[in-house]
Order: sequence, then C-alpha cells, then structure tokens
Amino acid sequence: MDELTEIPQMTLEFFGINLVFNTQTILMTWVVMAALIGFGFLATKKIGFLPNPFQVVGELLVTVFQGLTLDALGEDLAKKYFPLICGLFMFLLLSNWLGIIPELSEPTKDLNTPLGLGIMGFCIAHYSGIKAKGFKAYVKGYTEPIIFLAPLNVIGEISKVISISFRLFGNIMGGAIIILVVSHLVYSLILPPALNLFFGLFVGTIQAFVFTMLTLVYISVQVN
Amino acid sequence: MFTDVATIIKLASFGGAGICIGLGAIGAAVGEGYTAGMANLSISHKPERSGDIMKNMLVGQAVAESAGIFALVIAIVLIFMDASSTNLLTAAALFGAGICMGFGAIGSGIGSGYPGGEACLGLSRQPSVSNRLMTNMLIGSAVCQTPAIFSMVVSLMLIFKNIGDLPLAPTWAALLGAGISTGVAAIGSGMGGGMTAGASCESIARNPETLGRVTTTMLVGQAVSQTPSIFGLLVSFILMFKTFPESSTLSAAMALLGAGICMGFGGIGPGIGNGMTAQGAVKWVSRNIEAAGELMRTMLVGQAVSQSTAIYAMVISLVLVFVV
Amino acid sequence: MAIEGADIVKAAAFIGAGLAMGFGAIGPGVGEGFAAGKACEAIGKKPEEAGLLTRTMLVGQAVSESTGIYSLVIALLLLFVV
Repeated sequence: MDELTEIPQMTLEFFGINLVFNTQTILMTWVVMAALIGFGFLATKKIGFLPNPFQVVGELLVTVFQGLTLDALGEDLAKKYFPLICGLFMFLLLSNWLGIIPELSEPTKDLNTPLGLGIMGFCIAHYSGIKAKGFKAYVKGYTEPIIFLAPLNVIGEISKVISISFRLFGNIMGGAIIILVVSHLVYSLILPPALNLFFGLFVGTIQAFVFTMLTLVYISVQVN
Repeated sequence: MFTDVATIIKLASFGGAGICIGLGAIGAAVGEGYTAGMANLSISHKPERSGDIMKNMLVGQAVAESAGIFALVIAIVLIFMDASSTNLLTAAALFGAGICMGFGAIGSGIGSGYPGGEACLGLSRQPSVSNRLMTNMLIGSAVCQTPAIFSMVVSLMLIFKNIGDLPLAPTWAALLGAGISTGVAAIGSGMGGGMTAGASCESIARNPETLGRVTTTMLVGQAVSQTPSIFGLLVSFILMFKTFPESSTLSAAMALLGAGICMGFGGIGPGIGNGMTAQGAVKWVSRNIEAAGELMRTMLVGQAVSQSTAIYAMVISLVLVFVV
Repeated sequence: MAIEGADIVKAAAFIGAGLAMGFGAIGPGVGEGFAAGKACEAIGKKPEEAGLLTRTMLVGQAVSESTGIYSLVIALLLLFVV
C-alpha cells in the first residue's frame, strides 16, 4: 500500500524560491501530449473521401463538439472557443484512460492538473464575460440581487473552480485507490480488469465529458 | 470500571455488531416492502399473470436483500472474531466497522426496492417484454448495490487492519471517522442509484423499443450518482492509511472525526439529488427518444452542478485532515 | 488526557466545521438535483427550448446552492479564524 503516499518529486531552485515538481505527473502529461500530437498527425495526414480509422475518430470528435459549442455559445464565439473545448476533451479523455496501462498513471490523479485546467477555464470564462458584456456590466453582475451579497457571489464564483477540479481529482483518485486496494485484497486475480474497465474507461470518459461541458457552461453563463 | 482492554474490545465489537445489523435491516426491509406493495398492485391489474409477477418480485427482493446480508455478515464476523489485541485502537476499529456497514446498507436496500417494484408494475403493463424488464432490473439493482459493497470493503479493512502499535490518541478518531465517511455517504448514492433504476424499468415497460438508450442513460446516471460515495471512500482510505503523530489534545482527534462526519453526511444530499436528476432524464428518454442526446447532456451538467456541495464537503474534510 | 480551555475551543471549532459542511450539504444537494430532474423532464417535453431551459436550470441551481456556500463560508471561518 506504500504506492499511495509515494510521490516522486524534483526540487528546482528558481531565484531563491524552491519549486517542487511531481515528475511522474509531468512525464505522463508529456506522454498524453505526444499521443495527441501523433493522433492529430495520423488523422490529417491523408484526408480522403474514404477515411482512415484515425480520420473517422477525428471527424466524430470535431462534429460532436462543434455542435455542442454552437448550441451553447452561438455562431461567432463558437468558432473561437471550439478548438479549446475539443482539445480539452481529448486531453482529459486520454489522461483518464492512461491509468489502465500498467506502469503508467493518470496525470489527472494529481490535483495540480485538474486545478490548473480549472483555473484556466475560470480565467477564460471571466475574460470572455468582460469582453462580451463590458467591464461595468460584468461588475454589476456581482451586486445582484442586492449589493450586500457581493462577497458571497465572489466566493460562489471561486468555489466553481474548486468544485470542477476536485470532482475530476476525486473521481480519478478514488478509482485508482479502489483498484489498488482491491488488487491487494484479491492478489490481482480476476476483479481488477473489470474495475479498470469501469473506473478507467467508463468513469474516465464521463468525467472528461463533464469537465469539458462545465467549462463550456461557465463560459456561456458569463457571456450571456 | 472497565480497566481490562479485552473487555472494552469485546464491548465495542458487540455494540458494533448490534448497530450494524440494526441499521442495516432498515433499508432492505423498506425496499422489499416497496417491491411487494408494487407487486400486489400489479397483480390486481392483471391477476392472470400472477405467477410471472410473483417470480419477478422474489428475484427483485433477493437483490434488495443482499444489502441486509452484507450487514449480517459483518455483524457475525464482529461477534465471533477473536481479537487477541492488546491495543485499545482495535475497539475503535471494530466499532467503526459496525457503523460503516450499518449505515452503508440503508441506501442500497431502499434503492434496490425501486427497480423491483417498477419492474413488477411494468409486467402488468407489458407482459411481452418480461425478460428484458427482468434483465434491466437486475443490472440496475446490481449497480445500486455498489455503495453497500464499498461499505463492506471498508468494514472488512477496518476489522482486519493491522493495528500494530499506532498511537491511540488521534488514531481512534481517524478509524471511527473512516467508518462514518464511507457508511453515511453510501446512503445517498444507494438511494439515488435506485431511483434511476426504478425510472428505467418504468420507461422500458412504457416503451420497450427504447431499451438500449434507456439502459445507457441509466448506467451513466447511476455512475455519476455514485460520485459522492466514491468521495466518501477516498476520505476513508486517507483516514485509514495516513499515520497521525501522537497527540493527546482533544482538537487533533476532533479534526479527524469531524472530517469523517463532514464527508459522510455531505454525501447524502448530492447522492439523492443526482438520482432525482437521472430519474427525470431516464423517464423522458423513453417518452421522447429524439431528445435523448439533449437529455443526457442536461442530466450530466445538472448532476455535476448538484454535486458541488459534496465537493465542498470533501474539501473541508481534506483541510481537516491535512491542514489543521 | 490533558484538556485545557483553548484545546476544547479548537476541538469544538473543528467538529463544528465538519457538522456545518456535512449537514449543510444535504439540502442543496437534494434541491439542485430536483431542479435538474425537472429541467430534464421539461427538455423531454419541449426539446426545442433546451437552451433556455438549461440556463434557467443553472440559475435556479446557483440560487439554491447559496445555502451550501454559506455552510462552506462558516466552516472555513471556524477552521481558520476562530
């Protein structure tokens, strides 16, 4: 059970501040990025009327998420934000699936990854909100329904970042811990593959979709 | 009064066993009663199908019963196990195991009753699809047993945990908290999963052609409703496996107990709420199959938002464990 | 066990934070779930109004979440200020 608390760390000194990196997460994130770049290359290498398998998957993802962003944001903004939303989903999906391969682990299991992505989504949503409504209307949104509730509205906005990132982290980490513990209890016989199927593939897909959809919803709430 | 460690351990394990089966019997009984009531209603609609309906009722009740059986197993283990430990912590671990399984069986027991009852009612409406209905009922109620199985895993780990010479002072609270966290959080997820499965049985009886979409929506909805109980499990594992430095202050112990209570009770509401959302979505997938994609998307967003309070509870728990 | 006044206050604050967030999460969880369930039913009835219905659902959920956020604020106050 020691794997649970063991975190491979690397410390760098940067202008007198000690920066601590989780090397495993960084490595796994690179693996995911390399795989996605490879996928993108394969999917667009020979675009033809008779598509190769990668092109089919790529087209499927693009059509689905184009429709989703169009519904939520409208014609103009959809063109701008669609690559972000689609890329976010592909990154999260592959990240959540990575743990089913032995010796690899999900980068989303480390709180830093979901929190980073959550803060990114938060910043983008508020930036687009200010841009769409103007700064005055944006600030006025916080003083509704009465001005005394402004601090609570601000906390409510910040807690969205917490809820979106901890949801992903809790699900993936919880699944990983359950798989680890059950594998220990039954000496890695029979059950773990079924658990990997459920927590790795099924829950991983749902949570990747939920994270992406919520980022999209947060943007659309700010814009409208 | 009780100076003898062995006596206190016995006291804790017998008390735990009583709480375990006492609470654990609530859910299964309510669930089975619901199934039986619906079966009666169904037979009154179509007395000539009474054999089929009776068979379906018994199968549905057998699944709902399993939550009660888990509690019974843990209670028997607690009564007959021979704890030859000299550490008082064993008492906390055994009592925690009893609380965990007792609360954990409530939700799944009640929840498993819904698909059983709705399937019985469905049989009187659409006798021709009895096989599909029963398969769907079994899948749905098996998935809503998952929170009870989580509780059983945590109970068994608490019972057979190697206590060694861990410091008594804050660890007793951690072990009790671990039991409360998974056990109480399982109530909501179990009931929520059951509501979803019940709605899917009702939907299939209404419109059997939509079976595929209904089952998919049900499984996705149930998986998301289980998130609060997975959070409870996460907090339990942290409380069980982290070693806490010895400290004789009351506040250190209360922080750990508070973490367990916070995550446990915080998981109830979101679990039930997620189940209600999935119930609405599954019902309308069968009535309006063209809107299935739209419904699935709205369901996921709605569930995700209504989970946020469970996530706040998890954050407070983690702060209580790691920061203070 | 040496129990002093300050220790009891801290202990009460910690357990109070746990109780506040734990019980405070029940109501919003059920309420928001109910709102989302009704929104799903409404979308089933009128899929063409999906965008409007989703927005209404989100606004309603945000409002019913406010008691959950009050609990969170109180829990954090108990943890870090008291």
